Amino acid sequence: MNRKRALISDTFNLKKRRKGSEKFGAGNDKDEPKDIKSTLEYLMTLFPRKLFNDTLPQVVLKHQLYSIHNDKTLVDKEVNKLRECGELLMFQLGFDSEAFGLVFTSDYKTKVLAGEEGKGTRTTVEKFLEKVLPSCTDLSFSKDKMLKVFLFTDSEITQLVKSGVLTVREAGSWWLSIPNSGKFTKYFIQGRKAVLGMVRKSKYGEVLQADLEERRTTSQVKFPLRYHVHDIVGAELVESIPTTSGTLLRFVDS
Amino acid sequence: MSAADTRAARVLSLTLDPDRDVDRIHGNGINTIDIEAVEGRYMLSGGADGVIVIYDLENYSGKLQYTCKAVCTVGRSSRHVHKFSVETVQWYPFDTGMFVSSSFDKTMKVWDTETLKPAEVFQFEGNVYSHHLSPIARKHSLVAVGTNNPKIQLCDLKSGSRIHVLQGHRAEVLSVRWSPRYEHILATASADSKVNVWDVRRASGSLFTLDQHNGEKSKASAEAVNTAHNGRVNGLCFTSDGLYLLTTGTDDRMRLWNSASGENTLVNYGKVCNESRKKLQFAVSRGCSPDFVFVPCGSSVAVYALHTGELVTMLRGHYNNVDCCEFHQDHQELYSGGKDSNILAWVPVLRTADVEDESNNDNKGAAGLSAVNPAFQDAWSSDED
Repeated sequence: MNRKRALISDTFNLKKRRKGSEKFGAGNDKDEPKDIKSTLEYLMTLFPRKLFNDTLPQVVLKHQLYSIHNDKTLVDKEVNKLRECGELLMFQLGFDSEAFGLVFTSDYKTKVLAGEEGKGTRTTVEKFLEKVLPSCTDLSFSKDKMLKVFLFTDSEITQLVKSGVLTVREAGSWWLSIPNSGKFTKYFIQGRKAVLGMVRKSKYGEVLQADLEERRTTSQVKFPLRYHVHDIVGAELVESIPTTSGTLLRFVDS
Repeated sequence: MSAADTRAARVLSLTLDPDRDVDRIHGNGINTIDIEAVEGRYMLSGGADGVIVIYDLENYSGKLQYTCKAVCTVGRSSRHVHKFSVETVQWYPFDTGMFVSSSFDKTMKVWDTETLKPAEVFQFEGNVYSHHLSPIARKHSLVAVGTNNPKIQLCDLKSGSRIHVLQGHRAEVLSVRWSPRYEHILATASADSKVNVWDVRRASGSLFTLDQHNGEKSKASAEAVNTAHNGRVNGLCFTSDGLYLLTTGTDDRMRLWNSASGENTLVNYGKVCNESRKKLQFAVSRGCSPDFVFVPCGSSVAVYALHTGELVTMLRGHYNNVDCCEFHQDHQELYSGGKDSNILAWVPVLRTADVEDESNNDNKGAAGLSAVNPAFQDAWSSDED
């Protein structure tokens, strides 16, 4: 329902929405982790490896971190630090200009090389992983850079695209990508839509997070529900409100 | 606690002022307000009905609750009133003898406050979204005007000429702002997602364009390179020291830029809802540590900490969309105007009296009672119940 006029109750705060600074016992079942890296590791555990037959490395989205840590600028800084020292890789996932996927470098390397077993493109991919990843933290590469700085030939670039490590962005420029991540993107978008629909169709467009996690999900939702909840809270598609019965998720009409 | 900390504490306790309201003259939404810089006493407002009103913000009535009266109005009955909605009003920075207004009737009028007649009218070919006079200019008296046309016109108040044109944008220019630090530096925002910074003394194009990715071409898709936002950029505001520039866009983001280098400081404010198709007027506090940004967000005003991006609070009070807000630097008060035709004043909440003082207050008797706004006084319940 699209409200053209604001309700009087909104103006006069009759619903007595509490200011976010108060903490409630039922709402905080895990202590706020101060460390971004440990939050990343926790979110990685939510990623369903079996779904992709273990071919994909564990992917987390950057805005999922915003749902756990309050200070977005700090999260951004920490993520950049981890990328600078080569532990974390960031990818432009393609479906949203603001959605960035994060993968641990070691995970990425193992999975990519495992996927390349017995394929002709293996040596080129290895060369790419050895040379390019440690030195360059960019999300995309242009033809100039690939040919002159990293000394790849045209045919090698074609092999990299074929293996899935690079995806075409436009003529002469490529995104860094995760091989076989098409399935991930498809299931992710489907699942996000379904979970958002669950919140939106609830009475008053809101649902307690604990209730939502108890619910049975449709076959559209292939990821663990928690993964999607962190995503929609971090992307500000739902408002997260602390209440005495736990965290409430309210659909944001935009 | 230093003065800056006190001011910050006052901003943190802003609430709707129960004792003060502003005369309701506008019959329609209020698009723009401006408080004069000299004394901070007079406020201009421009409305969707083309009406311009001047209010006196000072309280000389002697009572605690008062209404900021309208001193004079350019109403619908005036011969010189704008035909369509007034989008921007601004006092002449150095005295209140003059003010400039621009409107969707494609004109910009320079008014004499005494006679309320326009001393000069500039005609344009398209709707005028925004204009700005430099608050510190001594060497020039140029007004920058952003219209439907991608070219930015600079009109000279002294000579009436308008030959100086800044070319560079590709779509309508939604907001223009002079730097409060250097009188020749101008920032302009356009619907083509770009923000350009110009030195008006230069004959060639802009000094630089703000790039949200700070030159990391890898982060953006090709079309988004060298854009400030992923959508129309409709709000511009310099911090009072002129060192930083804030921009808001319809991609629901607000960005803080270093105004000297054009670098994105990457402060993440989260989702700043923005659906405005015209310019958005928002304000930054001054002299507080830390500083705050006040952004109209739907029917409330969102208050963010400037350098950390944290959402401090939402000021609720308007019945409909808020279109503009202006911060009174000396008193740490915020005025906001919106589609509900109201201008609301937000003041730092006064400290409640300590327990020891209560007995003193009782003695004041009638004088103390008059502190309660008559609208809130209980005039109907009887003591017998």
